[in-house]
Amino acid sequence: MSKPLALVVEDEYDISIIFARALREAGYEAEIIRSGDTALTWLAAEVPDLVILDLNLPRVPGPKILEHIRGDARFEKTRIIVATAYPRLAAQMRSQADWILIKPVNFGQLRDLAARFSPDLPQGEQPGRSTDDSDE
Amino acid sequence: MAALSKIIQLLDVPSLDPDDARRRKLVNILLLGLAIVGVLALVATVVADIASAGTVWESNQDRLTAYIGISATLVGVGIIFAINRYIAGWLASTLLLLLLTAAAAFSDAPEEVAGGRGLLVFAIPIMMGSVVLRPYASFIMAGLSSLALSAIALGLGWVPNPFATLVFFMIAVVSWLAAQTMERALKDLRTLNVELDQRVRDRTRELAESLSKTEAILASTADGIIVFDTNGKAAVANPALAGLLARPIGEIVDRDIEELMSDTVGAEDREVVAALLAGIQEARFPSVKVKWGKRTLSVSVAPVRLESDEEIGTVAVFRDFTREAEIDRMKSTFVSIASHELRTPLNAILGYVEMLKEGVYGDLLEQQKGAVGRLVVNTNHMLSLVNNLLDRARIEAGTLRLNISSFSAANLIDGVAGVMEVAAQNKGLELTSYVGEDVPQTLEGDWQRLHQILINFVNNAVKFTEKGAVDVRICMRDVDHWAMSVADTGIGVPEDARGYIFEPFRQVDESATREYGGAGLGLSIVKQLVELMGGWIELESEVGKGSTFTVVLPLELNVPEGAIED
Repeated sequence: MSKPLALVVEDEYDISIIFARALREAGYEAEIIRSGDTALTWLAAEVPDLVILDLNLPRVPGPKILEHIRGDARFEKTRIIVATAYPRLAAQMRSQADWILIKPVNFGQLRDLAARFSPDLPQGEQPGRSTDDSDE
Repeated sequence: MAALSKIIQLLDVPSLDPDDARRRKLVNILLLGLAIVGVLALVATVVADIASAGTVWESNQDRLTAYIGISATLVGVGIIFAINRYIAGWLASTLLLLLLTAAAAFSDAPEEVAGGRGLLVFAIPIMMGSVVLRPYASFIMAGLSSLALSAIALGLGWVPNPFATLVFFMIAVVSWLAAQTMERALKDLRTLNVELDQRVRDRTRELAESLSKTEAILASTADGIIVFDTNGKAAVANPALAGLLARPIGEIVDRDIEELMSDTVGAEDREVVAALLAGIQEARFPSVKVKWGKRTLSVSVAPVRLESDEEIGTVAVFRDFTREAEIDRMKSTFVSIASHELRTPLNAILGYVEMLKEGVYGDLLEQQKGAVGRLVVNTNHMLSLVNNLLDRARIEAGTLRLNISSFSAANLIDGVAGVMEVAAQNKGLELTSYVGEDVPQTLEGDWQRLHQILINFVNNAVKFTEKGAVDVRICMRDVDHWAMSVADTGIGVPEDARGYIFEPFRQVDESATREYGGAGLGLSIVKQLVELMGGWIELESEVGKGSTFTVVLPLELNVPEGAIED
């Protein structure tokens, strides 16, 4: 059985590396994309199980990508975690995202959260839609 | 009445010398009297002449003499009046006296004049001499009268009357004394008046000087100054104010504050300024900053009171804060950007360190684990300092938002205890918590911020307490308010420091910053957060015994529009 696929859309180099690493630790195959338009191109061909989405992206902004994914039936099973430093902006994404993480994102926290979102886990054990505004 | 005042006016003589004016006026009065007597005498003579069909006269010669005498007197009166009016000094008075003396000499039969009833008539020019000419003139007139009398007596072949001469001189002495006394009194009065005039002039000049000094100070003050009277109209404004409000002083004076603000000040600021001017008694430090046209002005007001404590208006001082406001704004923007730029690499560092700690790159040696642990602690500390700066900048820029949700008091307190337990234990302190039974199951508020506030207080409590306990509790204050408090048994806050520990970058003792760490930003942010939530902070403390910080918050949130996240 192949690993679940995760996409990290994050323009900050180090943060994208850390996010991808956390996802790999959680058992995903992780793809890193650092701009909005490239992400849309990639999504035309692939259907990830999980997307970690930054909102402040070059060329195509995060909310646009979020809207695109939610508007396409192909991504019905795709879970989206929004990761941003702006709680106000994040709050507006609450209805569309599965989870909201406020930066700085704790490595262990993201790893554990991603593991719980994994399609390998039985449905009952998966977390529901909620938010975590942890800003510590 | 009009005719009377005309006559009185006619009696006045244009003269700058007050003595001369007085004497000549007196001459005029006497001339008027003489004229009236002359006219009456003429009328009486004519009536007697007609009634008696001329039999009243012994001869036509007598009749002619009477008519000529009366007419000559009236003409003389007219001539002297004219002289008196246009020639200053003694001429008119002397002529009058001579006329009177002559009239006295020819007023009766020579026998009567020399020895009988005509004698008394000479007293008139003698007495008059002292008042219309000079006091000593009465002696001259007495001499003249004696000579005239002697001449008449000798003409009759009589011996001159020495008693008459004696009486004349006695009258002269009395007149001289009276006139002299009167002139002295008048002179004194005039001197007094002159002194008084001088004093009034001096005072007026002093007042003008002090007024112009005050005006010069007002004019050269860089702050704009405006004084409103009790009706709210501008009474005084200085040039600096005209410059700040960008309108001439003439368009400021006599207008009220609403007229001055219209068009150039926003509705909200207008209300603030109007309230400031209206309620000056209530505010302790009555000063506001408002956007006035293109400038930012600080406005402070104070009542204008006289020494008698009577309030006669309000003085408002306007100061240009445009530059300061711009610097403030730039500072906030700078801090905000700098904080964001600082946070990005810090987040990355934290991420990598956490990965190391979690063993992503392989298991660590015990010593390495210790070092990585310290890295995590210090990076987190650095992040919280940067976050504090960012919060501070947001608060100053007015962009801090609250995230309101329902939460339970127990969860809030447990969350804080969970975070702070280790720090307390490390110092050997007991951390206790309690939630009052009457506290509602769910409370409304920004859980995140309340958590941050409690952590801040507990952190301080642990930092400044060497032994004993830190107690965190949530209780009801009254029916409308709940309170969360943090009590410690630490060093306490000295009385004089209680006012400023909530200011940014202040700790009780500068050395405490080094000893206990922290940038001193925490409490100032806490205070502003609590105020944004509509609450307040209370502090009870005794030096050496401990402190209790209590945050009192309303059950029903009344947060200003725009301070809540959508």
